Amino acid sequence: LNFVFFIYFAVNTSGFLEGLVRGFKNGLSKEDYRHLTQCDTLEDLKLHLQGTGYGHFLANEPSPLTVSVIDEKLREKLVIEFEYIRNHAYKDLATFLDFIKYSYMIDNIILLITGTLHQRQLSELLPKCHPLGIFDQMETVTIASTTADLYNAILVDSPLAPFFKECISEEDLNEMNIEIIRNTLYKAYLEAFYDWCQQKGGATADVMCEILAFEADRRSIIITINSFGTELTKEDRAKLYPRRGKLYPDGLLELSKADEYEAVKRVSELYAEYKPLFDGTGNNPGDKTLEDKFFEHEVTLNVNSFMQQFQYGVFYSYVKLKEQECRNIIWIAECIAQRHRAKIDSYIPIM
Amino acid sequence: MGSLFRSEEMCLAQLYLQSEAAFACVSELGELGLAQFRDLNPDVNAFQRKFVNEVRRCDDMERKLRFLEKEVKKDNLAIDDTGENPPAPLPREMIDMENKFDKLETEMKSVNSNQEALKKNFLELTELKHILRKTQQFFEQIILTKYKKNNNQAALYQQDQETHVPQQYDDETPLIASEFSRSFNRFGFVAGVLMRDKISAFERVIWRACRGNVFLRYTEIEAELEDPHTGDKVNKYVFIVFFQGDQLKSRIKKICTGFRATLYPCPETPQERREIALGVMTRIEDLQTVLNQTADHRRMVLSQVALNIRVWLIKVRKIKAIYHTLNLFNVNIEKCLIAECWCPVVDIDRIQLALRRGTELSGSSVPSIMQQMQTKENPPTYNQTDKFTSGFQAIIDAFGVSNYREVNPAPFTIITFPFLFAVMFGDMGHGLLMFLFALYLVLKENRYMKHKPEDEIFKMMFDGRYLILLMGLFSIYTGFLYNECFSRSINIFGTSWNVRAMNFTDNDVFLATNPVVTLDPNKPGVFRGYPYFYGIDPIWQSAENKITVQNSYKMKNAVLMGFAQMIFGLSLAFCNRRHFKDKLTLYCELLPQLLFLCALIGYLCMCILYKWSVWTVAQSNTAPSLLIGLIDMYMLTDPKSNNRVPLYTGQYQVQIFLVIVTVLCVPWMFLSKPYILYKRSKQKKGVRLDSQSDDDVAILHHENNDANYGKQEPESFDMSEVIIYQAIHTIEFCLSCISHTASYLRLWALSLAHSELSEVLWSMVMHTGLATSGTSGAILSFFVFWFFSSLTVSILLVMEGLSAFLHAIRLHWVEFQSKFYKGEGYIFSPFSFTLIVEGKVEE
Repeated sequence: LNFVFFIYFAVNTSGFLEGLVRGFKNGLSKEDYRHLTQCDTLEDLKLHLQGTGYGHFLANEPSPLTVSVIDEKLREKLVIEFEYIRNHAYKDLATFLDFIKYSYMIDNIILLITGTLHQRQLSELLPKCHPLGIFDQMETVTIASTTADLYNAILVDSPLAPFFKECISEEDLNEMNIEIIRNTLYKAYLEAFYDWCQQKGGATADVMCEILAFEADRRSIIITINSFGTELTKEDRAKLYPRRGKLYPDGLLELSKADEYEAVKRVSELYAEYKPLFDGTGNNPGDKTLEDKFFEHEVTLNVNSFMQQFQYGVFYSYVKLKEQECRNIIWIAECIAQRHRAKIDSYIPIM
Repeated sequence: MGSLFRSEEMCLAQLYLQSEAAFACVSELGELGLAQFRDLNPDVNAFQRKFVNEVRRCDDMERKLRFLEKEVKKDNLAIDDTGENPPAPLPREMIDMENKFDKLETEMKSVNSNQEALKKNFLELTELKHILRKTQQFFEQIILTKYKKNNNQAALYQQDQETHVPQQYDDETPLIASEFSRSFNRFGFVAGVLMRDKISAFERVIWRACRGNVFLRYTEIEAELEDPHTGDKVNKYVFIVFFQGDQLKSRIKKICTGFRATLYPCPETPQERREIALGVMTRIEDLQTVLNQTADHRRMVLSQVALNIRVWLIKVRKIKAIYHTLNLFNVNIEKCLIAECWCPVVDIDRIQLALRRGTELSGSSVPSIMQQMQTKENPPTYNQTDKFTSGFQAIIDAFGVSNYREVNPAPFTIITFPFLFAVMFGDMGHGLLMFLFALYLVLKENRYMKHKPEDEIFKMMFDGRYLILLMGLFSIYTGFLYNECFSRSINIFGTSWNVRAMNFTDNDVFLATNPVVTLDPNKPGVFRGYPYFYGIDPIWQSAENKITVQNSYKMKNAVLMGFAQMIFGLSLAFCNRRHFKDKLTLYCELLPQLLFLCALIGYLCMCILYKWSVWTVAQSNTAPSLLIGLIDMYMLTDPKSNNRVPLYTGQYQVQIFLVIVTVLCVPWMFLSKPYILYKRSKQKKGVRLDSQSDDDVAILHHENNDANYGKQEPESFDMSEVIIYQAIHTIEFCLSCISHTASYLRLWALSLAHSELSEVLWSMVMHTGLATSGTSGAILSFFVFWFFSSLTVSILLVMEGLSAFLHAIRLHWVEFQSKFYKGEGYIFSPFSFTLIVEGKVEE
């Protein structure tokens, strides 16, 4: 019966696209990274990237190269690939891919609102938005002054509307509020995405729920750590935790009580997956930051998702891994451009 | 032995080039295209090599040229293609070229930015023009309706906005109704243009953000506008928003910027609008002339570029390729570059000449030196091809590139491939169509060579045009043998059968009751005594048992042809063994293989031929079955004991002998070679010990050289490995003798399928048209013919042709080449400008 399902998947849903993604995924090898870190200038970097899967994506750029040009082109390449897949997808896969886009939309909205709050011009903010998260009404968010306004006037037509329900209030938009909106949106988004994958079932659920659960827990932990020393109350904080991770419900309850880093660490260490992440982190030179550890764990999960066939997780993982790879290249490029070679090796390796 | 039979003899040569002469020398070698350079710094990064800066400069030049080419293409100018092949310029000319391209690029860019600014201006004016025109319509429409429905102003809004009627307006209705045109003054309005795809979202957001307190009208601009940046055509909408109060105004303006709508000032009174419109019109006209001038200037620059860009691109590519090659060289010695390359032995003189020319060209006083090297590595395989043989060589190379100096099956494939194809595709008519198609390609060859076809499928057929030509030709030939032309037989020489000799009379009872009669060749005169002059007698066309007869005939034919090809394959293996002086394999493997095949399949073939030539019609009732005979042979039963007629006298004794030979061949193949190898390795150990004790180093050295010549003998001899290898090969060969022969039966099966399919097509389609009489028959035939011909081409020619082609490929790759072909070599890929310029080589 499984066999029949596989054929159904391959023919009817996304066999072609999955194959494509597996091809796109082929990224830089250890060897490539080694070569990249040895580059002396950005021109060298370009020359070396030409020999990899990235090909001639910088061929039409005049010298001298800057890191921002590389960043832009890397992002453009990812977006072109993603849009190609999105345009060929339909039914469930299309929904799934849209879910991936939503997180970028949330980021973009928050970026624009924060920017307007700081009196930045729209033209200045737009290039900073992630192209995957652009939607029609996005640029009009600047007119909103309260969250209710934001929802009623603008977001009600956008795909983000269902996530927004929880944060409607008549309060003015201020820094604190925006952070709360961001996290509430993210929470609703993660929960919706998780439930959708769960309902989809099969290998997709196996793979995606694992990844999303980690994402949820990571957010809870980071929110807790970042909330220390701010005016956010513990009750409000507890409302921001996405309730789909492995920490839910007991861990989240404990987290909501925490008021120092050690407490967070104590809670997390009760969970086998997260214990190693907290070990050996610190701010001493040579230590990895907790953030990097999280990234590494995320990469591992995403790489594992490629081990399973006929499921949508590969699409998510492909985007995340490519993003990580781009971050790595940019990190290396920055290090080269600023002649700051000491930290050039602290990119997140992708196995 | 021609060069086609085996790949070219290659040698590894070392070149010592003076650093100043190196560029010119490599350039000459690139024009020649006969040397494959080896990378002498495999562990150096791409960006750490010596000439990486030059490569980068070339990259930059290429980028500029690509930019210019894009601009030329944007203007639909034809790029001049004179077919000229300029030599690679010297390094010092590179700076000139760089300057030239740089100047052109900056000029082009400034022209572009000028044009863009002008176009932007132009676009704004056009948009303004449209806004004035459209808003005029809005105002007029409203006033017009106002007069018509003087006292029902609310209804007007109802109509315009349908359900979106703002409640507030109701209160003001009397006021608007009383003095409508003045009431407009109380409202502010904003007019602008917006992209078509954003209009609905825009409408909704405006509605929501302003809580319905605005009145929006929009209409499409019929003319397409040009985006000044990308040059694409875009569709836009004109919109006008009426509102009340400053707060709403700023809000609407924000939304407009959010949607990237362009707002234009629009005066309130019609007179002012008209004035502005007039001003805009004149400005548009002025701008148009300026725009035309800019376009002319741009065209002038670009036409200059279009004339030269091809030559420039070739030059830059050549320089880049040269520096890439120089990066492969060893640069560790001062003033001298060392290169290693594979080259054909026969062309060494030409390479040396090219080197000398390069040295002279660069004005260097010290000559470049070329010297052959001894190597134990396997040289690359280089088969020289021309336009005729390249298609056939491609079929062979697709299976595997032959080992160095191994027999190359391509020359034989030139005949056997189309022949085997034609056996499966025998039809004069279809063959002729195929032949004509290929002939067209061959005749138009020059045109297609110049303008490479874009279509991949067409390109494939074009590359194989000579193959298809021969396939068509051979199909005509076999079609002639099968006597089939679109499944109909042609009676050219007169049939050898005589119906009259059956002595039927007009009122014969037998004829009246039987729809089918049998022509008995045993009756004197019915068969004229001599066969149809060539091919199959056309009378079989009308025979009921045509298929049965042809099956038996074609099946036997297939076995005969298969045996012939397999024996031919083994004889090529013999050539290989002789050439590599591998006597051991020759006597211990090839000879028993040959005996085995002959005793098993060869004997069957002999029986077939014998039965055909000796047994006559008169004896046909008692003729023995060959299949039963073959089974009996291996059951070791005497045919007489089963009361069967023997094929010939002494059959039993001969067969017993052959079976013994067959059985003996198996251990011969299996055991003899491992045994001798074992003996030899033992002996060698002894010799090695001896030579060490005798200090006879010379002999040892000599032997080592010999051992390395043909095959590299493993240092440690592993008996179990040899035995397993030999066992696998023995079993494979014995099984394959039978399975391969059976596999050749596909020749019969496909030929049967083809003739049956064309028969069906004729009788089901064409026949219905031809069988109808009168005018209706003529008309029907006309339409049926189109149906028939399209089916003939699509099914019989294309589909059947492809399947026969695939089967012919299989017969060559598996059944034929497995007998002698290793195909584990690697292809010679020389450094050649022609390939690089045509873009066939990725750097």
